[in-house]
Amino acid sequence: MTLQEATETTGTDPRDRTLVQALLNKNRKAAAEFVSLYTDSVYGYVYQRLIPRTDMVDDIVQEVFLAAWDNLRKFEGRSSLKTWLLGIARHKVESYYRTRLKALNSLDEDEEVLTDTAEEPRFEAAIDKTRAMLRTRSVLEGLPETYRLLLLWRYWEKRSLKEMAESIGRSEKAVERLLARARQQFRRSWEHAER
Amino acid sequence: MQKDKTPEDDFFGKLSMEDSQGDSQTPAAPARLKSNVYSALVNHMEESGPLLPVEATEATDGLCVFEKLIDLAPVSEGMKTFNACSICHARVLAERFEHPPIYWKNCPYVDFKGG
Repeated sequence: MTLQEATETTGTDPRDRTLVQALLNKNRKAAAEFVSLYTDSVYGYVYQRLIPRTDMVDDIVQEVFLAAWDNLRKFEGRSSLKTWLLGIARHKVESYYRTRLKALNSLDEDEEVLTDTAEEPRFEAAIDKTRAMLRTRSVLEGLPETYRLLLLWRYWEKRSLKEMAESIGRSEKAVERLLARARQQFRRSWEHAER
Repeated sequence: MQKDKTPEDDFFGKLSMEDSQGDSQTPAAPARLKSNVYSALVNHMEESGPLLPVEATEATDGLCVFEKLIDLAPVSEGMKTFNACSICHARVLAERFEHPPIYWKNCPYVDFKGG
């Protein structure tokens, strides 16, 4: 079996393990296959979660592959290599969120606390998915960084308030207050973009 | 039900789901990035010891013209594990330009251009 054949598919099959073994043997061609096969997926994941900080995407993608090499012996083939790599990417993205949120001054809790309205923003059934995605991205890009990161972390990475609060050394109440403000600002921008 | 769920969580849950399903619309990684990642990865692999010698590498995949030269030349074992890419102009071009004018057979940097 050639390396090419061994890496054409992903999944919990022996081909992933063949590629991993070739990498562990320090086969430079396997390294090229590894990068060629999986950079697009890792890039897409990181790109989507760092908008609009595309300047950071390349660095994080590279970190993912270096971390993958450092931990490759731990890969047991329980998930596909792609899933495993995306797990590393997730850690890197969350580490970025954590670092940025800790550093941002706007995390002060003295601002007026806004209360969420029970009224759910309209998510038009008629709007096509592409337009919804573009509008979501555009609104997220326009938000202050703190709000954008909190929303991405909470809803795109599906982290609980408790997990987020512990990660950045804040109380759950404080994170919830910030999220409430983030949601409200998102909603305003979303409705504004609708006009 | 999560105890910290708010009335708007469904809305944001739906948005994030729609957005994540749009992954296919995310641009592919630039070839320049793949080149940089490959270079960094191979350098990183070398930090813990030599790479697989070129003749063993050829058994699994083709060598580029420079690696072939190293394979054929009467050089030491240490040289057989040498990372020829580290001194190759193709690497320098590929790390800086999206469409570098390089066309070597079996050069990873050329392959990255193909997407």
